[in-house]
Amino acid sequence: MTDPQLVARAQEGDLPAFEELVKKYQREIYGLAYRLVLDAEEAKDLTQQAFMQAFVHIRGFRQQAQFRTWLFRIAINQCYNYLKNRKKFGDPVDCDEYVLVGEDSPEEELVAQEDHRRLYAALERLPAKQRAVITLKLEQGLSYEEISKVLGGTAGAARVNYCQALKTLKKYMQNEDDYEVAVRPYPKMVTRVSRR
Amino acid sequence: MKWRCALIQRWLPAYPDGDLSPFWRGMVRSHLEKCPACREELAGLEAVVMNLKAAPRPEPDQAFWDNFNRELHLKLARSVQSVPEPPPSRFYKIPYLLGAPALAGLLLWVAFGYLNPERPGMPPQPQMSQEQKALEKTPAAPRLAAPAPAPEKSEAVMMVSQNGHEMHGEDDLDLDGDLDSTLAGMTETERETFLKKVRQHEKDGSCTRESLAVCWA
Repeated sequence: MTDPQLVARAQEGDLPAFEELVKKYQREIYGLAYRLVLDAEEAKDLTQQAFMQAFVHIRGFRQQAQFRTWLFRIAINQCYNYLKNRKKFGDPVDCDEYVLVGEDSPEEELVAQEDHRRLYAALERLPAKQRAVITLKLEQGLSYEEISKVLGGTAGAARVNYCQALKTLKKYMQNEDDYEVAVRPYPKMVTRVSRR
Repeated sequence: MKWRCALIQRWLPAYPDGDLSPFWRGMVRSHLEKCPACREELAGLEAVVMNLKAAPRPEPDQAFWDNFNRELHLKLARSVQSVPEPPPSRFYKIPYLLGAPALAGLLLWVAFGYLNPERPGMPPQPQMSQEQKALEKTPAAPRLAAPAPAPEKSEAVMMVSQNGHEMHGEDDLDLDGDLDSTLAGMTETERETFLKKVRQHEKDGSCTRESLAVCWA
């Protein structure tokens, strides 16, 4: 059954049809939420909240956009609200909880883990909107047009945002070691100075 | 960094995907062929993208999703019981459908009645007698310029039409004639005589100007 048919049935209050949609998109929404909040438990809660919001407001969905895009928008708004209420950008990320598959030797595995640690630390410093753009573009494979529908604005603005996000991420990854050494003794002051 | 490199590097992240316009794609490609610094920047960006794509995605096991779906199902079932029926759209409400045209009609009626003093809904103004209307039309100058002389007792008032028939003031009520046009057609002598008679009979109250003018005509 296609998405519009399932959505039409869900709009009539058919719960199994909506749960079919949930099963179809739950992994994507969870991945997006995880990239934005960088916390597995919070990502799970936010994913459930996003689906709850989608179910409550599905009668207002007029099928002018894709259901997937609409769902991404709801999930991103949930994550923005969460980040706004949390007052700070994420807790330290422990990338060791995920098992890396396909590494040949322990040395390469260590190098890869170090790369990922730096990547997550840099992602944590990135503004939420740029994190969302990178995730939607690189992981979900959305076009700039679709990203603009999810985040608002135009396709050109989404492309500029993506370019800026990638350059900032590269800069953060290059300076990550210096940043961490500087942050630990004087967290608040150094954070304020380094973000200028 | 040269200004050209800064300009090109703004578009570098979108270059590998081919998302640039043909113009900018050509510009970036030709610049990259002769600028090692921008090539290095591009390589760094591609490494970041590769790192992002290779980063382990959170892929929980099936037990996690079973638990997730069970919790969500309970929440959805609870919300189904508590979700109120959506209010009917206002466009389907009869009062809404009837109210807007009725209000528009009322406003039009008020505006039309306000602009048009002879509106049917208002009480009629007191009707002025046609004699009074005709009197208002007469110029006031002759009356002011020539005060009414003393009544001439010797002249007998006689309203006679031009064909010689005697007429009374009460008979000629249908007065369409204009006093000015009547006076305009007279000679000076006739006008003075006519005005004298008019003043005399106005004082007496036996005849009006209009009736006299018609009789004279």
